[in-house]
Amino acid sequence: MKEKRYAIVLDTRRCIDCKACTVACKAENNVPIGNETYRNWVTEDPLRGTYPHLGQSFAPSQCNQCENPPCNSVCPTSATGITAGGIVTVNPDKCIGCKYCMLACPYDARYYNEETGVIDKCTFCIQRIVVGGIPACVETCPTKVRVFGDLNDPSSEVSMLLAKNKHRVLKPEMGTKPYLFYLI
Amino acid sequence: MARLIDKKLSRRRFLGTSGCALAVATVGAQTTVLKALADSGEVTTSKMGGTKDVFTACGMCVNKCGVIARVRDGRIHKLDPNPEYIKSRGMLCARGNAGVKVVYDPDRLKYPLIRSGKRGEGKWRRASWDEALDLVAKNMNEIAEKYTRAGVMFASTEGTFQEHFFLQMAECFGSPNTVRHPSLCLSSNIQGFSATYGTFPTPDVLNADYIIMAGANRSEALITPDSIDQLKGDGGRRKLIYLDPRFTKTAAKADEWFPIKPGSDMAFVLAMINVIVGEGRYAKDFVEKMTVGFDMLVPHVKQYTPEWAAVECEIPAEDIKRIAREFAKAAPKAVFYPGRRSSFADDDVQLRRAMAILNAVVGNWDTEGGLVPNSHIPLQNHDYLAPWYDGVPLRIDNGSAAFLSEKDGSWTAMRDRILEEKPYPVKGMMIYKQNVLMSVPNRAKTMKMMDQMDFICTIDIAMSDTAWYSDVVLPEATYLERQDPLESIGGILPVVAFRQPCIEPLFESKPNLWIMQNLAKRLSSDIADTFDFTMDDYIHHQVEKNPKILKDLKSKGVHYMKVEPSYGLTKGKRLRTKTGKIEIYSENYVKKGLDPMPVYKRHAGVPTGKFRLIVGRNAYFTHGTTANNAYLHDLMPENALWLNTQSAKKMGLRDGQMVKVKSNVGEGTLKLEVTDKIRPDCVYMAHGFGVISKGQSLIYGVGACDAALIEEKLEPISGNVAMHQTFVDVSPA
Repeated sequence: MKEKRYAIVLDTRRCIDCKACTVACKAENNVPIGNETYRNWVTEDPLRGTYPHLGQSFAPSQCNQCENPPCNSVCPTSATGITAGGIVTVNPDKCIGCKYCMLACPYDARYYNEETGVIDKCTFCIQRIVVGGIPACVETCPTKVRVFGDLNDPSSEVSMLLAKNKHRVLKPEMGTKPYLFYLI
Repeated sequence: MARLIDKKLSRRRFLGTSGCALAVATVGAQTTVLKALADSGEVTTSKMGGTKDVFTACGMCVNKCGVIARVRDGRIHKLDPNPEYIKSRGMLCARGNAGVKVVYDPDRLKYPLIRSGKRGEGKWRRASWDEALDLVAKNMNEIAEKYTRAGVMFASTEGTFQEHFFLQMAECFGSPNTVRHPSLCLSSNIQGFSATYGTFPTPDVLNADYIIMAGANRSEALITPDSIDQLKGDGGRRKLIYLDPRFTKTAAKADEWFPIKPGSDMAFVLAMINVIVGEGRYAKDFVEKMTVGFDMLVPHVKQYTPEWAAVECEIPAEDIKRIAREFAKAAPKAVFYPGRRSSFADDDVQLRRAMAILNAVVGNWDTEGGLVPNSHIPLQNHDYLAPWYDGVPLRIDNGSAAFLSEKDGSWTAMRDRILEEKPYPVKGMMIYKQNVLMSVPNRAKTMKMMDQMDFICTIDIAMSDTAWYSDVVLPEATYLERQDPLESIGGILPVVAFRQPCIEPLFESKPNLWIMQNLAKRLSSDIADTFDFTMDDYIHHQVEKNPKILKDLKSKGVHYMKVEPSYGLTKGKRLRTKTGKIEIYSENYVKKGLDPMPVYKRHAGVPTGKFRLIVGRNAYFTHGTTANNAYLHDLMPENALWLNTQSAKKMGLRDGQMVKVKSNVGEGTLKLEVTDKIRPDCVYMAHGFGVISKGQSLIYGVGACDAALIEEKLEPISGNVAMHQTFVDVSPA
């Protein structure tokens, strides 16, 4: 069997900024409550136009699970690693909380966990994947913005979505090769 | 208002100051798994153990979505959506996910409390259940003795499956004075549609090609499945037209948004009817067979031209015409969505009538993509024989509205009569879950009413403002700790919902049934006899005729009969109206001296220098009950006053400064949010802040309370309050 390569495809046109994903993630992953501690988030894009001709979209994001993660190369203790399926992880025993990886990440996807003293970030809910589940944010999303799956499987929903739709990644110029894909 | 974007932007700044920390890690189950995975570099089996999954139903708002509680070692770790639950499309929102923090909230009520200082002073002493219930029963009996049994009022609200027991207590104790949330919410909406169709239908949002929502902010005021289904048309199949004085997240998702002048929605609807009828675009066969009064409607709407409506509602006549034509063309897969911001104005029933009539003239009834009468899955009633008492008068708000609901009453009408002590005194308040100081407009008046009470008892899970102003506070077990009766939820695809305990009740909290039973024993043997059953008896009685229901609930957490909607079941049959048809013209209304068809009356304009205060919901909070939830508070820690950019500029006010808002009935201080997302003549604030209770530690002292500002204008047909008829001054604080 071919190795898996996990990805999330997002259709932000469906996002209503209800933040179900953020709360689901916090509860699932014991993410501390308080400023700046998020494994995933939704931001409001700036309001377009002037009253009464207005438009606005919402931008959900999280760790991009890069194929080429800059956080990995800067880590002085090799705490950051990449598991099978391409998931970027942090080993809490090796992490010294120096935050170099936070600075290196172009997606601002890592935070310092005051409670554990280590850096934390989205892992696609690896603990759920290993028992056959899907990430909490994907499962809970009321409008099904996010779809999770294996891009090495051409019949997976993520593969089909990318085959059928135009899409983009964030900051392609950084050469990070993200595995978070946004439908256009 | 703090937005996530602000927080994200500041993360880098935060890096600069905190340096490198070498802290001792508290390794939980989560990190153990990660460690194993990181060490090996491979995905291996989970190290998590002791997991029990429990099917239950969410209790965070009115939707009752299906939930699976993941319980580890006796603690609820996570609430996940139940994929089998069709009403919520197998999904769960932020509030649903935040339910774990309801159980493990350090602020939650833990044991019975008896007031030891002055009322509202916040001095309490811990009491045993015996002592607290003895005191409640003693006071109830004393008030009954002195003022008749109607002297105790019972206030409660929706969302808990145990409200039934509280209402049974009211009936068996012998008080007609029950008051519930509808007259603060959708009673006018239900009245308007029911007067037309004989029932309150559900819009088939999933299959509609054209939807008009007026104030129904479904991206934020979440209603399942509508909030989910409204998005399905992305890609061009479905069109959403949205009218709202605010640019909400629904506006962001709509094809067209119009910042309609508050109170003028009826002009827009009547003009649409004018175009559709005048241009012969109505459903002729349908109108002939299924409706009465169309002949009277034609001359009635002649006056309501799009040009006239454009002046009233500030939406161009050309747009009104075009929308009317598009709507008629898409019909019957076109819905003017029936609801439901709380009553906008004091003619709300007639606005809803106009909306119902518009849907009717295009043949939008009991059809795919249209308005569909609700189906229900029948459950057996658990009957009881209420004791009969002499000399109990009619409900105190009797006659205060043309069509008053016997069970729900009219909140503000009842409050006025209690304050006047006319026609009789009411001196006791029993409150279950309703936070009346937060939800009933004109908070000062509610407080005055409470001051006048001899005794107030509140049953809740948190120290709400209302509990704070009570004499006895009884802690209820939360929805995740209780076995509740089965709940049949009507809709296009009806379900039976199931709520079972995921963990034992924490502290000394008890389910409402236990509280009612133990109170009943202290009141009289007659009342106690009516509560002589267990929850198990009750549930088995409910499914007596269909045991499969319980089997389904135990195996998949939900029971449903079908997964595909049925349409047209009422076609060719009598509707539940007097004429058996859709009543465009209402004889019933004529008999009550009301307009048989909606007549537009212009509302008072905004006085110079003032603003109209408008209300609305967001996706993070349910009324006043969730702002103190740690997860949700994290998303939105305070409310702010929205003010249009141009208006702020004229007044020299800047974004983020503190402002004082003042109405005829109250005032509040909160932060200003200068934004283009609101009409220049309106201001808005989120509900749920400005609390009085120090028992809500996260939000005490933060923001302002809309209920303190809103005046209680009564909608005379339904007894609903008109939430959008308050004008306020805004000045620097």
